[in-house]
Amino acid sequence: MMTVGCGNPSGGSGVPGRSLEDLSAGKRVTGDQGGAAPTATSAVLQGLREMVLYIGSPFLLRGTLLALQIASLAMVGGLVLGLVLALMRLSSFLPVRGIAWLYIWFVRGTPQLLQLVFLYDALPMIGIKLDTFATAVIGFALNEAAFSAEIIRGGILSVNRTQAVAAAAFGMGPFLTLRRIILPQAMRAILPGMANDTIAMIKLTSLASVIFVNELTFRSQQIVSQNFKFFTVFAAAGAIYLILTTVISAIQALLERHFNLELERAATTRSVLARLLGVGRRSQPSATPELENLGAVREPANVVEAIGGPVRRVVSGPLPAHDAVPGHTNGADGAPFVVCEDVCKAYGAREVLRGITLSVRRGEVVTIMGPSGSGKSTLLRLINHLDRLDRGEITVGGGLVGYERIGAALRPVRHLAKARAEARIGMVFQHFNLFDHLTALQNVIEAPIRVYGEPHAAAVERGMTLLSSVGLAHHAHHLPHRLSGGQQQRVAIARALAISPRLMLFDEPTSALDPELVGDVLSVIRRLADTGMTMIVVTHEVRFARDVADRVVFMDNGLIVEEGGPAEVLGAPKQPRTQQFLRLVEREIGTF
Amino acid sequence: MRSARWLLAAVVTGAVVMALNTPAAAKCEPEKAGTTYPNLVGKKIKIAVDPSTPPYTIRDPNDFEKIVGFDADMARAVFKCVGLQLDFVSGAWSGLLPSVIAGQNDAMWSNLYYTAERAKQVDYVVYMQAGTGALVPKGNPKKLKSMDDTCGIRAAAGLGTVEEAAFREQSRKCVAAGKAEIPQVSYPDVAGGVRLVQNDRADVMLTDLALVDQLARDNPTAFERGFAVMTGFKVGVAVKKGREDLLKALGTGLKEMQADGTQRELLKKYGLDPSLQITSETLRN
Repeated sequence: MMTVGCGNPSGGSGVPGRSLEDLSAGKRVTGDQGGAAPTATSAVLQGLREMVLYIGSPFLLRGTLLALQIASLAMVGGLVLGLVLALMRLSSFLPVRGIAWLYIWFVRGTPQLLQLVFLYDALPMIGIKLDTFATAVIGFALNEAAFSAEIIRGGILSVNRTQAVAAAAFGMGPFLTLRRIILPQAMRAILPGMANDTIAMIKLTSLASVIFVNELTFRSQQIVSQNFKFFTVFAAAGAIYLILTTVISAIQALLERHFNLELERAATTRSVLARLLGVGRRSQPSATPELENLGAVREPANVVEAIGGPVRRVVSGPLPAHDAVPGHTNGADGAPFVVCEDVCKAYGAREVLRGITLSVRRGEVVTIMGPSGSGKSTLLRLINHLDRLDRGEITVGGGLVGYERIGAALRPVRHLAKARAEARIGMVFQHFNLFDHLTALQNVIEAPIRVYGEPHAAAVERGMTLLSSVGLAHHAHHLPHRLSGGQQQRVAIARALAISPRLMLFDEPTSALDPELVGDVLSVIRRLADTGMTMIVVTHEVRFARDVADRVVFMDNGLIVEEGGPAEVLGAPKQPRTQQFLRLVEREIGTF
Repeated sequence: MRSARWLLAAVVTGAVVMALNTPAAAKCEPEKAGTTYPNLVGKKIKIAVDPSTPPYTIRDPNDFEKIVGFDADMARAVFKCVGLQLDFVSGAWSGLLPSVIAGQNDAMWSNLYYTAERAKQVDYVVYMQAGTGALVPKGNPKKLKSMDDTCGIRAAAGLGTVEEAAFREQSRKCVAAGKAEIPQVSYPDVAGGVRLVQNDRADVMLTDLALVDQLARDNPTAFERGFAVMTGFKVGVAVKKGREDLLKALGTGLKEMQADGTQRELLKKYGLDPSLQITSETLRN
């Protein structure tokens, strides 16, 4: 650093202000200063001073601005196109997948410099003449799209599939699910890669000098070719790049913090981010004290009050009250509400359901029991059309869910999400499937607001009522990972109830819980049954079935083996398969 | 009275001399641009340059946004003469000619040599000849006295330049003669090439003779000219084929610049040998 390359520190004044005549002084590439040579320290200081002058020179700053403009515009374009490509890559439709794959294959596989030259110099042949800036923005955006597509796809794949299943069960369409559920959770995986790409792009804009973009690197090279002071000039350019990329890294850190669910988000962090990006927080407990009060004040005595009583008054607008029969306890009114006719379903060669015929009356509570693999969960998934029927048909409240009749056959309708939403079937999953990035309350109000268009305030009020009814008002603003399994499942039940369901499906709601947490969840379901809600419950809890069910259905190997009142099926099973299973359950669980 | 008469005589003589010295200025007809070049007048003619090519196109050390140098000053003088407007568009050298061929820019004026290969794609107006010089470290440690001495020598030339091609050709000759081939490095800009020699990454750098001499003159302890090749390359302005009006304007303007001595003055101003000037001509392939 002290030898060659810094030019002659004593010659020339640095950035501007040298005439052609004394250019030669600055051009001395090996400084032979002889006796008048300054000390090494002063040479270094002089070099630093020159560097700072270059950093502040309008000539280089204009190049910096240009690099930033190109990179930011191209990044936005690349992200949008990249998201589209990522979704195309995830499509189940082969040609769509293929096109995206080809695009990414080609763009990632060819040098960006050549892409730029092609856009700039070859397109005019077919009459498309883009100017320098537009070429750079488009060229970098097209290139970035290919790379960000893969990063975004990776992020989407990193989100547990159960999140999408839960969203689908609540009638959320694919794009709503993507925007509200998948992408916010994918962001953590996406952000580091995108920050890498942003930084790389800012630096790579120097490639565009070949299409006459005078950005920072090009400008610094031009200065050097004029005064040959490559050390100070390039050091200055390097420092400017470092400042830019430091800012990007800082934004990355803030965003990662924002999307990090494990971090307890302190109010200060949030406000810094909010100030920086103008992003509001999803819900701030401190900002909504009235909600806490609401929960405390309006805490209903029990779920009966919450569902059957006040709900009817609380629910307003587009949310009708569910079809439960108030005051009607543990019984059915006779009209068949869910009708399954000869339902068949196979996954590949494996036949899971081999002809199920079952009807559930309005207000009836049916528990389905049977060994693993008997097809119980699949039947539930077919009832709300999370899976497609192979044969037979299912009606809920007299209507098909997401099918239209073409002659004798059924065909899925195009807007499946809308059909599911209209069916108003609440579902509770074995593994809760709460939306991990949303608080308990947000989980509950998501579908009412986004799917059913309920006003925010009304949804929050009703959500708090429901959470209170399952005993979780004080956890309303906690993220799922901070709740116990039993608490999560109770939130999940509140979430299902929030859409005012006509039918509730429970898929082994207590199987994933510690034994001491099972009771809380079962008591909530029991109280719900008391309101007259029509329910189908897949469970292994024999005592629960005996106490709550109007009817017990025993399934094995894709068929209904035995059905009847709980006393019959559980107390005096006729079929050897049922007897065997019940003995096993009694021994293992010991709840009988 | 007497002195006043002398003074008057001096002033008159001076005026006459000045008028005689600039007779060609009258031949420039910028005011007729509207009728002579109806399709060009009032437009900014985009001239592609790489302002890292001293002393032809270079950033003004007093204002980096401004482009000066022999080629740049010539271009301004020519355009002023024919009454047209120009705009310098700066980019990396290897991208200049493609941009003219693609029609993104109107002309390339940045120390461009005429070659038959290039002339298939563009038309030229040439106005000077080039010498090629070999820049070597002080003392010429490899004793390079001609191209024939470069076999097996680390040689540097600009990307896409005729010098680069010259080394390739020489390397073939070396191999044919049973000598070592030339390990060649191509640099994107002149300053990068100078650093190759300076840091002992290349033994010789082949570029424009005037530039080599200037570098050797400015850095007498670091460099010297190893040898010169009077390549006979003609240097000119290139325009896309079919741009006859622009070609005509450039031809006319350059002829005037040679007639009125502007070119010679500019050659001298930038330390170039005035004898490098050749009678301008339009070359089509």
